[in-house]
This record gives sequence, C-alpha cells and structure tokens, in this order.
Amino acid sequence: MNKSFTLIFLLLLAGQLLISNYFHVTPYLLLTMLPTMILCIPSRYSTTVALFVAFATGFAVDFLTEGLAGLNISALVPVAFCRKWIIRLVFGEDLFSRGDDFSIKRYGLGKVAMAILLATSLFLFIYIAADGAGIRPLWFNTLRFFGSLIISFLLSLCVADLLTPDDRK
Amino acid sequence: MPKDRKIIPTILSAAIFIIMEVAALNMLANNNAIQRLWFAQAAHRFMAKAWGASEEIKYYFSLKKQNEMLAAENFFLNEKLRFYSERLTEKAQSSLQLPESGNEGGFEYQNASIVKISNNKQHNYIIIDKGSEDGITTRSGILTSQGVVGIIDAVSKHYSYALSFRNADVSISARLGQEGAVGPLIWDGHSTNGAILKEIPLQYKFQPGDTVWTSGYSSIFPPDIPLGVTGDSRIVNGATNEIKVTLFQDFTALRFVTVVNNRNLEDIEELEAHE
Repeated sequence: MNKSFTLIFLLLLAGQLLISNYFHVTPYLLLTMLPTMILCIPSRYSTTVALFVAFATGFAVDFLTEGLAGLNISALVPVAFCRKWIIRLVFGEDLFSRGDDFSIKRYGLGKVAMAILLATSLFLFIYIAADGAGIRPLWFNTLRFFGSLIISFLLSLCVADLLTPDDRK
Repeated sequence: MPKDRKIIPTILSAAIFIIMEVAALNMLANNNAIQRLWFAQAAHRFMAKAWGASEEIKYYFSLKKQNEMLAAENFFLNEKLRFYSERLTEKAQSSLQLPESGNEGGFEYQNASIVKISNNKQHNYIIIDKGSEDGITTRSGILTSQGVVGIIDAVSKHYSYALSFRNADVSISARLGQEGAVGPLIWDGHSTNGAILKEIPLQYKFQPGDTVWTSGYSSIFPPDIPLGVTGDSRIVNGATNEIKVTLFQDFTALRFVTVVNNRNLEDIEELEAHE
C-alpha cells in the first residue's frame, strides 16, 4: 500500500480510538469513520486484502477501547466484503478497468457521498443490531441508526477527502 | 479463462469473509452474556424453522408411500366388507329358503395400480401393474369403491390392458335402484362423469337422484356396486326410457383400483356356448 495512505490510515485509526474512548455524548450517537476508511482502500487491492485490513482495524478498535470485543470486527468485515460491489454500483465498472481510485474531485461529492452512505449504513446496521442484542426497542435502534449515520457521514466526508488519491498528491 | 480467474478469488474471499465473520461473532458471543443469549435464541429460531421445513418436505415426499399404504388398507377393508356382506346375504337367503345365486361369493379381488390411463379419446384405455403372473385374466373387471372403471381386454406377464368404462365399446349391466329395472349403462361419449342408462321400460318409476347399481347379470362385476345417480330422462321410440346418469367415479383422479375376477366365468361361458 502507498506509504502516505498507510500513514493517514494509521492516524485515522488512532483518531477513531480516541473517539471511541472519549466521545460518549449520548447513547443515540455513534461516531465512526471505520467503514469509510475501508471503502477508501485503493481499488487495486483485492477483497481479501481489504478483509484482512478490516479485521485488523476492527480488532484494534475492539481491544483498545471500552466496547464489546468482536463488535467492530463483525460490523467492519462485511463492509470490506461489499467494498468492490459498492464501488462498482456507485462509480461503475470503468473505475476498475482503468485501475483508478475514486475521489471527490474526480467523481463529485454526490457519488462519493452515496458510497459513504451505503458503507456506513451497512456498518451501523450490523453494529447497532449486535450491540442491542434484541434487548433495545426498535425505536431506539432506529433513532440511533439515523443519528449515527448523519454524524458519521459528515465526519466520513472529511476522511474520504484525506484518503482519496488526488488529495495525497 | 478470464471468468475462471475471477471465480477462484471470489470463492476465496467469500470463504475468508465467512471465517472472519464467524470468528468475530464467536468473540462477541463468548465475551458478552447478552450477545451469547441473543445468538443462542437466533440459532434456536433458525433450527426450528429449518427442521420444520425439512419435516414438511419429508412429509410431502412420503405422500406416495402413504397413499400406497392407504390403498392397501382400503383394499383389505373392502375385502372384509365383501366377506361379511356375502355372509349376510347367504344367511338371509337360507332363512328365506331362496335358491342360491350363481355369481355371489364367486369373485376374487386384488388391488392394482394404474400405470397409464387415457381420458381424452373415444376409445379410452387403462394399463394396470398386474398381469397373468398375478392371476389376472381377460374379462376381469376393474372397479373402485366409487364404481366400475373398466374391463380387462389383454394380459401380459406383469401388466394388463383394459378398456376403460369411458370407451364407446364398453357397456355394463346396471340396475335402477336396489330392486328396479336392469339395462345397459354406457358412457355418454363426451363428459368426464356422464353415462346413459338405456332400455328402461316405461312402467318403472324413478326420481332424479336415484342411485344406479351394478346388476350382477354380466358375470364380470358383482352386484350392488354403486355407480352413480340418475338425472334427466327421455322416452325413446315410445317404448323405453333413456336416463342420464352422473357417475360417482372421477376418472381424472384414478390411481389405485381393485381387479375383480369371477371364478365361475369359464363355467358360465361354457354353458352359454352350449346354448
């Protein structure tokens, strides 16, 4: 992987650890940039590589924060597995045939935002369902999902801007 | 080739994904009591549904066997019923000191399955899975508890060919009511359950809805098998009634039948030949 990408990725991971440990404003809000970080892994890397990165990232967050062990891994690994499908769905097959990576400048804010929304929604859906474990009422989970989606989406736009290739040049 | 190249990494990544996800969920379940309980409940729900579905599928595929068992049981019960009704008739006859009827008690029964049946022709036929090795002879009758089905026309070792009642060439002797007039009953030639009872003298009164039975005069079928109910009628040549009959037997849903063989058929035919 590109050295600057790896460095930014590790810095963002450190930032996520800080958020997970100290950002506890309300149980309705979950601030995460992990799905976008996985989504922004350069397209030349295979799904298998993305799966290992996701597992390692989720493992680090689970064991270095106060949360439930395995929760971030179980939500992040499916994002890595669906990463290429999401990119293909939003940006089209051409991106892969050109060996290109998506960026806000090249593909526009709308498409990048759509990809982030899909990846973050998948992550939050699994995370909130597993965290609630059938105990939390549906309205709570729904409120938590949409609240977390909005706040995480805004943060993820900045993360995508940092991690996408055009900005690293 | 390019497709093959794509398939292997896809399978590999799917396998890795499943392993990682299972490991993560296992981690989650092992470290947290609430999640463990949640997973256990979900697993139980899934197992209950899966077992329920598999049982239903098993039940569906065992229907054929169940049908065969029911047909065998039905045949056995019918045999018993015939045995007791024959005994009762004999007893009644001896008490009234009536002469013994030639055909009663002279029939052998055995069950069979229909291998092939035609229903959409003017000369319909039936093939059953019993043949000469099973004791089937030509001119044996085929019936069910719902009525007469056909007459055996040709026999091979393991199969028999029969003319269906829904065949323009087949006519059976039928009686109007338990003690009414006797006449030939033939298929009406077009409907699935319609027949015509012919040559009923005008003096015999009947009502629509009266039951039509086998007469027992044909030496192929035993008497008193219900065949159908009467409907509209018309007078033919000013001398006899021709009555429409709605058959009980549904020929489109036939699967198991009983073959009836008159043990005295040869003697009767010999006597007929001498005349």
